[in-house]
Amino acid sequence: MTSTADVVVIGGGAIGSSVAFALARRGASVTLLDASTPGRATSASAGGLWSLGESLGLGCGVILHTAQKGVGDGPAPLPRTFMDFLWASNLRFPSLAAELRTLCGIDIEAESATGLLYLVYDDEQERHASRIVEWAGSDHGQVERWTPQHVHNREPLITHDLRSAIHFPGDNQVNPMLLTEALKRGACAKGARFIAEARVRAFRCSNGRVVAVESDKGTIACGAVVNAAGAWGAQIARLASIEIPIQPVRGQIICTEALRPGTLRSNLSTRDCYILQKAHGEVIIGSTTEYCDFNTEVRYEDMCSLAAGAIRAVPALRNVTLKRAWAGLRPGTPDELPILGPAAELENFFHATGGFRTGIVAAPLTGEVVAASVLGQTPEFPIEPFLAHRFQFLTA
Amino acid sequence: MSHPAIVIIGGGPAGMSAAVAAATQGLACTIVDEGFDLGGQIYRKPTNPARAPAPHPRGENLRAEIARLAQHISVRTGDSAWGIFDGLRIAVTSPDEHTELLQPQAVILAPGAHELVPPFPGWTLPGVMTPGAAQILIKTMGVAPGKRVLVAGTGPFLLAVACQLVDAGVHVVAVLEASSRPAWLSLPLHGFRTPEILAEGLAYLSKLDRAHVPVRYGRIVVTAQGETELNAVEHAPVDAEWFPDNNRIEIEQVDTLLVGYGFVPRVQLAQMAGCNLELRPDVGGWIPVRDRNLATSVGGIFAAGDGAGVAGSLVAAFEGQLAGMTAARFLGAIDEATFTAARYPVEQELARLKPLRRALDKISALQPGLMSLVRDDTLVCRCEEVTWREAREAVCAGSTTYRSLKMTSRAGMGACQGRFCWPFLSRLVAAEAKCSLADIGPPSARPPLGPITLGALASEPRDK
Repeated sequence: MTSTADVVVIGGGAIGSSVAFALARRGASVTLLDASTPGRATSASAGGLWSLGESLGLGCGVILHTAQKGVGDGPAPLPRTFMDFLWASNLRFPSLAAELRTLCGIDIEAESATGLLYLVYDDEQERHASRIVEWAGSDHGQVERWTPQHVHNREPLITHDLRSAIHFPGDNQVNPMLLTEALKRGACAKGARFIAEARVRAFRCSNGRVVAVESDKGTIACGAVVNAAGAWGAQIARLASIEIPIQPVRGQIICTEALRPGTLRSNLSTRDCYILQKAHGEVIIGSTTEYCDFNTEVRYEDMCSLAAGAIRAVPALRNVTLKRAWAGLRPGTPDELPILGPAAELENFFHATGGFRTGIVAAPLTGEVVAASVLGQTPEFPIEPFLAHRFQFLTA
Repeated sequence: MSHPAIVIIGGGPAGMSAAVAAATQGLACTIVDEGFDLGGQIYRKPTNPARAPAPHPRGENLRAEIARLAQHISVRTGDSAWGIFDGLRIAVTSPDEHTELLQPQAVILAPGAHELVPPFPGWTLPGVMTPGAAQILIKTMGVAPGKRVLVAGTGPFLLAVACQLVDAGVHVVAVLEASSRPAWLSLPLHGFRTPEILAEGLAYLSKLDRAHVPVRYGRIVVTAQGETELNAVEHAPVDAEWFPDNNRIEIEQVDTLLVGYGFVPRVQLAQMAGCNLELRPDVGGWIPVRDRNLATSVGGIFAAGDGAGVAGSLVAAFEGQLAGMTAARFLGAIDEATFTAARYPVEQELARLKPLRRALDKISALQPGLMSLVRDDTLVCRCEEVTWREAREAVCAGSTTYRSLKMTSRAGMGACQGRFCWPFLSRLVAAEAKCSLADIGPPSARPPLGPITLGALASEPRDK
């Protein structure tokens, strides 16, 4: 079975679906292939849109915790250009949500007033937090320092054993699964073709170009290929003899029974974990950050420490019933920045992977800039900082 | 205290027999069961003996044997085994919210099965329950589930429960068996090697007959009615595929309806441990793949009883015995020759029980007509209150796997993790999407399998 598409997008997670949607919206003929491999990062994402929190290293408590143990100073914030990128992507959610609702009837549960609260427990964190707030400046809305009193006025369930908190008013949340499903259906509504359970086996190349993608569900002749295979991005690239440094980074999360919506109004982040309540009322507590090859098992010890971290931040969670635990594999890169845009090795092979902890918030803008890059248009955000060849010295 | 050599999940006939077999070889066993006492559903012990009927002698015998081997068998009733982690580490939480990890060298999974209730209009009304739930009320406390009760579904379990209701003084209006009378009349052809089971069945029928409880074959319940609770049931005759003839509906005024269409093996721990599963609708759906000695595909994990394919308590007890011996051989407590010699009579017994069991499976196999009862506004997932309209729309939009349907419609996303809705919902999805049950797959199994609090999880692990 052979078919034809202008662009074949490999990977039906949030990023691949967003790229497919952006391409289809620009009139390209798109085929989106999904291998349905369990453990994709999209399925294990809490859906935090923490453009500032994450780029400042405060979105995922476990990282800071580990870094503080090792270095003492906490991790350096990610480059400012990445913060700008995430911020710009985050700003697109309200209009994207409206567009997708109209197009395919799915509400992606994009919230606009959640905010992210980073809880500061001790002096060391207090010093670290001060430096971060100073570094962040006010380019992206005001990062606020909150007193414990202020915290309790807004979130009465949070522990009283608290120094202060940092509030990121622009960092909200979305339902990552519905976002992905809506982007996928939106792409299909604009003419894209989605093929499920389609594992890519090989690329046919000729004169430095990919001419066809061979999959379990048939061969597709194509004008360009986008590698949006997430944690499996290096494996897909390798089929085209391209090396990129993507490593799966496991994140385990636990989820409670549904509580009354509004029990926690803000998303919370602490040195131990993050805690957020979703639209249906469940509270998601995550997440570990660990290299474990492609193992997606949940570890008992990690479930216990996530539970302990959540109870420390919100003591009332002690009596809440746990519903389930699972894990996903984030596509990690050595510098924690995504790999986007054209590959140097093949003329028409593009990357859209390496989203690490920020794939969901980055999805809207990633879709736009990669689609523009594939179609030879000027991306609305410079793609250069994210090109794969920044790692050449690593893979050569 | 050191870790037990073998942890046995489930204290029903399979689990108790496994413990006896392994402990007889001197192995330290721990049985974990959520119930108040050993016995499982079938041999459940009364918590109020003054009011409840006398427990089954086979169960009493097994409990006595366990007591005799108390030196080797530790019994943890009331505890929940809710997860199995990298290999053979089993998380167990006690009612006082204490959690610990048991780390045995072998695990025998004997968790039993739960009842299958297909959705139909009105099935979530108070007053509609499963035969097993009614049985618990009677067996433990001697409490009657209602005053006027209709029992419906398929399989011999309905007759057993109806008899217990009669003994408890409940007015059983009728038993409706979906399959035809000729199918049941053919059973003696398959059961001549198991006359004691046939006799048991005939005893049920004659007891119901004496109590003037009609057993009506080839009829199913089509709707349960009532504003805030059940007050009437509509039932109709069905054809060979259980499609009801809606022109011949009868209405019965009852306050309680017991509906059971067989059982679904509880495979979640096996699945979580990474055991290969296979789809066997004849024995209840997805089951762990086992070899002749009941070893699963994961080293050191064995599976016995209804949790590995529904076959009833007698098969479960023999399987438990075999699994206990296999685990003993695995741990080097018995040699190959002893094992082979001991296995022979057990296999003979299992072979003897098989023909009748197979015939029963065939009679009670779910038929497509049941699916025709589901209307657009019928709830197909109780946890998340998802209607068939919502689920079907998601299926039509391309969500034809458990994962995808869960994400888009929330069906199966609740606390039961799809254990209760999915056995039937997957059939609806397969019919709608014209794909096979095997393609759809089982719901994924995630820890915790039972409700535990974050506090229980965060408790300091005691090393045992």
